[in-house]
Amino acid sequence: MRSARVLSLFASLAILVGACAGGQPTGGGAASPSTAKAVPGGAVTFALEDDPIDFDPLRSRAFIDRNVHYQIYDSIVRIDSSGKIVPWLAEKWEVAPDGKTITFTLRKDVTYHDGSVFDAESVKWNIERYIKTQGSARSGELASVDTVQVVDASTVKFNLKAPFAPLLANLVDRAGMMVSRKAFETATSPDDFTRKAFKAGTGPFMLTEAVKNDHITLEKNPSWWGKDKDGSALPYLDKITIKPITDSSVRTTNVRTGDAHVANSIAPKDVAGVKTESGLVYQEKPAFGFNSLIPNRKPGFVFNEARYIRAVSMAIDRKEILDKVYFGIGVVGYGTIAPSHFAYDPSFKPFEKPDPEGAKRLVQEVGKGPLQFEVLVAAGDALLLQRAQLIQAQLLKADIKMDIVQLQFAEILKLQNDHTFKGLTDIGWSGRIDPDGNTYDHVYSGRPFNDSAYSNKDVDKFLDEQRATSDQEKRKAALRAAEKIYAVDDPARIWYRFVVAQLLTVAKFKGLEPYPDQIIRFQYGWLQK
Amino acid sequence: MTQYILRRLLLMVPVAFLVTVIVFTLIRLSPGDPVLVFAGEERDPEALDALRHQYGLDQPMPVQFVVWLEHAVQGDLGRSLRTRQPVLEAITERLPKTIELGGTAILISITVALVVGTAAALNRNSALDLFATGFTLAGVSLPNFYLGIILILLFALALRIFPPGGYADFASEPFDNLKRLVLPAVTLATASLAVNMRQVRSSLLDVLSQEYLRTARAKGLGERAVIVGHAMKNGLIPVVTIFGLQVGAILDGAIITETIFFWPGVGRLAVDSISGRDYPVVQAIVLMSALSFMVSTLAVDILYAWLDPRISYTRRAT
Repeated sequence: MRSARVLSLFASLAILVGACAGGQPTGGGAASPSTAKAVPGGAVTFALEDDPIDFDPLRSRAFIDRNVHYQIYDSIVRIDSSGKIVPWLAEKWEVAPDGKTITFTLRKDVTYHDGSVFDAESVKWNIERYIKTQGSARSGELASVDTVQVVDASTVKFNLKAPFAPLLANLVDRAGMMVSRKAFETATSPDDFTRKAFKAGTGPFMLTEAVKNDHITLEKNPSWWGKDKDGSALPYLDKITIKPITDSSVRTTNVRTGDAHVANSIAPKDVAGVKTESGLVYQEKPAFGFNSLIPNRKPGFVFNEARYIRAVSMAIDRKEILDKVYFGIGVVGYGTIAPSHFAYDPSFKPFEKPDPEGAKRLVQEVGKGPLQFEVLVAAGDALLLQRAQLIQAQLLKADIKMDIVQLQFAEILKLQNDHTFKGLTDIGWSGRIDPDGNTYDHVYSGRPFNDSAYSNKDVDKFLDEQRATSDQEKRKAALRAAEKIYAVDDPARIWYRFVVAQLLTVAKFKGLEPYPDQIIRFQYGWLQK
Repeated sequence: MTQYILRRLLLMVPVAFLVTVIVFTLIRLSPGDPVLVFAGEERDPEALDALRHQYGLDQPMPVQFVVWLEHAVQGDLGRSLRTRQPVLEAITERLPKTIELGGTAILISITVALVVGTAAALNRNSALDLFATGFTLAGVSLPNFYLGIILILLFALALRIFPPGGYADFASEPFDNLKRLVLPAVTLATASLAVNMRQVRSSLLDVLSQEYLRTARAKGLGERAVIVGHAMKNGLIPVVTIFGLQVGAILDGAIITETIFFWPGVGRLAVDSISGRDYPVVQAIVLMSALSFMVSTLAVDILYAWLDPRISYTRRAT
């Protein structure tokens, strides 16, 4: 749960590929895999793993919030179920040859839930609010945007400070979500708006009720612009009730008893059971998030010696961790670029077989005696402790002694951010649609999530390069070259797993499929009568 | 007596102040940074500094305390750092739900403990007594979170009698509300029930061997009058203490149960706020918990005087 709390996803694959004309029909991109005809009506209950905090995309910092955002807001662009960026509020867009402007052509048939009109002015107001508000959680994602210019009512131009390939992917998520100016300005205060953003979006559902820790009610937006592949209006459902259930067994039980219709976070230990249970449908798909052991490379700490990081990376058995701790749920990983990213290379398997002997030799080569350190594990989650214990046993085969220290999550976070932890920490990352979002802040010198205090000039150079070009192949080459350095040659961390997007539904709730960002698209879901 | 109660009520003010100082200091000394916790995966240093400044977290601790106290005495407990909900609203919104759950649990606990505990004491070493003692042992040993999940699997999944948690509004769906109340209330009641039952049984056993009961029987009173009128009145004095403390501790017990059954009460708020270092919310909840303890112990002391004429507070109050 703790690592889930830190979760939060984003942006995309195909980036700035010239002028991505909007050939894709609206909405119906991800149609029901079943052949039965969808019927409108009905209400479902969604068992969510925690309570959403901020409905205002500007403030939202938690992964969990996005489960609501995606239902009530539309973004400028979105991804399809394969992770490709597709038209959404923007029907098409054009990137200037120098990469410094993007011009979006907007849909003309969109209104906010409160009746106000969505247009280019609205985009400008939203983006400027995200950039200029003090303490905005979106300002970093939009840092490359210099000005937003209204060309006409349905055309808006983003002028960039410098070419920035991952921007479009950022506009898929919260930085591209459009909020009604009227709804925001009529709220008593921004503090109240973020808790009660009623009828504030243009999305398929409207937020109409929010009782903390209890439930959130979303009602159908009867005039949403999206259509299914037969041209019928989306969404099908009349109402969604979201219930936050933090205990994973109880959450799964609620779907098994039919008290809830859908959940998107199932404990690995429960997956085998729900797969075979009649009346339930379980689906999964590789996602963008990863797990890694984070060493503190600051001078004065044991992992200032890069060969020690490499020794640990060689000694652990990633397949065994996946099978024994996660019951096979997930994908073995060695870096930040996940299977659903365009820059992924399935042949990149630098530590495929554990090599305790090689690790031993590397420790001897350093010549400072046996390697011993501590790992910080967040208290209160059995899975995290089991994982640490298994890794501890694996390392022992290479004569590496790892002590497990359990602390509160908040405390570990502080030590990690201050770079004052002694050995390793292990806090997950929920992943971003563009590989840049999974990488840059984690390994580029001095960035906020560079918790290992890593710095490598070549890595920095490659990462800057891939940001500045919109040529997908060049980006891939630069990203791959960087990954080989920060994961293998001069390792920043010990990556070991990619997460999966899960979706558990009762059998009569149809039309949904998992997305690599782990968020449910409720507009496609329908209840069989 | 009135003087005594007034004095006790007045004493609550310095105690509450002291509790406030201690909690304020402790929660800020506990490692962790609230802004970093709710920053989640958005850790832009400039934005975080702006938030720290906005919430006054960059001020020295004594300044923060004075600001907080100034507002608190005017009834403004601040806003949650994490959710920006006014703290008072967050608590008043959840408190009735916690009281409903805790009150029901105590009611179950007291009723069953009195009936079964008395019966067990009167029929010592019978099958019933053995059952009661066995239940006591199991009830004390079973942790809440385990019992809760077992009850959900049994009654919600296998038998489908009760829903697996959640809350329904009593005003609009009274029947659904009660149905959802049963499992968490039973879970919460079990541990205290075991303690209470043992207390009732042993207190009564103590009293039953006393001379004055023989006297009561000798003067021709019926068994019922002996037990209810004489034995229970004396035997229950220690039981009252324990019940009183349990009323004060409703909140503590509810923390785990509310989380398992996703009951939207104060207990869950406490868990989230402590792990998220949400200072204003933690302060308010601990203060409230301290006040409820003080009030319930006062109530117990008053009950004592009523139950046992030998206890008089006026004498000590001179």
